[in-house]
Amino acid sequence: MKLKEYEAKDILQKAGIPIPRGVLVKKGSDFLVSPDIEEAAIKAQVEVAGRGKAGGILMADHASIRDTTEKLFQTTIKGLPVEEILIEEKLQIQHEYYLSITIDRSQKAPVILFTTEGGVDIEEVAQKNPAAIRKATVYPLLSKVPGYTLRYLLNGAPKEIGAIIQKLYTVFMSQDALLAEINPLVMTPDGLFAADAKLILDDNALARHGIQENRDLSERERMAAAHGFSFVELNGNIGVIGNGAGLTMATVDLINRMGGRPANFLDVGGGADRVRVAHAVRLLGSMPDVTVIIVNLLGGITRCDEVAAGIIEAGVSQQIIVRLAGTNEAEGKALLSSKGYRMLDTMEEAVTAAVEAAS
Amino acid sequence: MIYADKKTGVIVCGATGNQGSFHIDRMNQYARSIGGRGVVAGVTPGKGGQEVHGVPVYNSILEAAEAQNATAAVLFVPGSAAGDSIMEAADAGLDLVVTITEHIPVHDVMHAVTYAQMRDCTVIGPNCPGLFSPGEISMGIMPAHLATRGPVGVISRSGTLTYEVVHELTRAGIGQSSIIGIGGDPIIGQTFADALERFAEDPLTKAVVILGELGGNLEEEGARSAELPVVAFIAGTTAPAEKRMGHAGAIVTGGEGDANAKIARLRDLGVPVADRLSEIPAMIRGAI
Repeated sequence: MKLKEYEAKDILQKAGIPIPRGVLVKKGSDFLVSPDIEEAAIKAQVEVAGRGKAGGILMADHASIRDTTEKLFQTTIKGLPVEEILIEEKLQIQHEYYLSITIDRSQKAPVILFTTEGGVDIEEVAQKNPAAIRKATVYPLLSKVPGYTLRYLLNGAPKEIGAIIQKLYTVFMSQDALLAEINPLVMTPDGLFAADAKLILDDNALARHGIQENRDLSERERMAAAHGFSFVELNGNIGVIGNGAGLTMATVDLINRMGGRPANFLDVGGGADRVRVAHAVRLLGSMPDVTVIIVNLLGGITRCDEVAAGIIEAGVSQQIIVRLAGTNEAEGKALLSSKGYRMLDTMEEAVTAAVEAAS
Repeated sequence: MIYADKKTGVIVCGATGNQGSFHIDRMNQYARSIGGRGVVAGVTPGKGGQEVHGVPVYNSILEAAEAQNATAAVLFVPGSAAGDSIMEAADAGLDLVVTITEHIPVHDVMHAVTYAQMRDCTVIGPNCPGLFSPGEISMGIMPAHLATRGPVGVISRSGTLTYEVVHELTRAGIGQSSIIGIGGDPIIGQTFADALERFAEDPLTKAVVILGELGGNLEEEGARSAELPVVAFIAGTTAPAEKRMGHAGAIVTGGEGDANAKIARLRDLGVPVADRLSEIPAMIRGAI
């Protein structure tokens, strides 16, 4: 789950990383701006890439802060309404740095990225001047970043940044973060400040941090997640239910390859029982464009008899083409054939039949 | 045979749960049919002294390992407890931990896998179907009747895709030496490269099928170091773009992840890549 800028900054500040003075304003509520703030950055709290370029950050002197804030509330940033605005004192920038920590899949360890060329699109730096980016992994069982690693990362940059890296590392590890980023990290006459911050938390660890569920999910995705499956809408007319992301993706790929149009990707997940399967079938049954549904399930932890019972229980009007194999296959097939469902032995046969039925 | 064989005594953690108990029964049905030891102990803290399908349950992995002379474990514990169980298994001196559990926090996996490596304990998974060597051992949830013994190794990031391919191979009369689900999580224990190294030392295995998907670069890493002939399939060529983990994520992996780009890189390495699953048997037949 992505945290908003002000939420991320709140966590950074608690960890001892300085952030600019500011105030959070919610749409429709009144606010006060400290009289000694001469110039401010007015920042829409929306999660889009390239927020600044899209008009989500406006600068204002003290007299125009109120008007600029009102103006920003009336806009949408890349289609998203502005509900919250962070008003921050403008920093006196001497230099901008980029700092982030994420997980390196192949090294199986946290990896720290630092460059003295901050404040811009980091991908651009990676393309134009890759040597400017310093990258170092940290052995995951260490509680601190070793000094030699900090020296390598800084490569001569002010050593106060080392303390910021250390604190961001603590945030990354203690928050179960997938990404912790400060861009830019700004050097001012008063020291270093995190001018912008991003924090993405691991959905599988939210409960541990007192968060009920990922609020980034759409209404339908939320419903799907509540039933234990993952769902993506794709605009075609063939409803797809599979188990396991790989097999479901391969089913969608094969439908496309054979000239059909998948309506969705729906992975019922491991160990789906009849209730979950029935919910999945009903969800596709409720999609107006879906004319045929293909159920392609290979039971390992999922039992075919439970799947069969779920399909029957859902009782949708669309034609359902079923391919079942694996755990309790015979029981599942017997159940479905007693109700007259169309069953095929292989994935390719089932997809062929579905593409024909839908055209 | 790689990782484990008939003589391996297996512990199941999360033995008294729904899935644990169901699969203890399955694994032992298979072990009995081929004369293997199978699951010799279960572990559920606080339920020591009970039995699940005739298998004695202990309170800790160490107790179970000592009482039943077991050297490997299969985990069915909940996601929030699985990282802990991997470390417990490593600390108890087990050689191998197969982690079926999904939804384990990534930091937990990162810590547990590193800890296990320090204790010389091999981790397969998490979020995987486990290990299946026809005629030798079932350590996980793969349906036994799909597989048959033979010269082809299978390594996969996706559970059900594995069953699909094993099914296709068996129908085409091509048997499998070992089938390993390495799991689909961002951090996993054994990678394609690790498993390929094991297969290279296995006299039964003549060629390997690797089943990958979009995201990361472990498929290419494996293919680059493979000593045996390899055939690949990558799922997700028409999937909507993976939700990207910000810019930093893309930079760390060098912009990799897209399924079609991955296929192109594998072909550049000289690895035959199947467009359809049904093409795999013919392609692998040419390699053995």
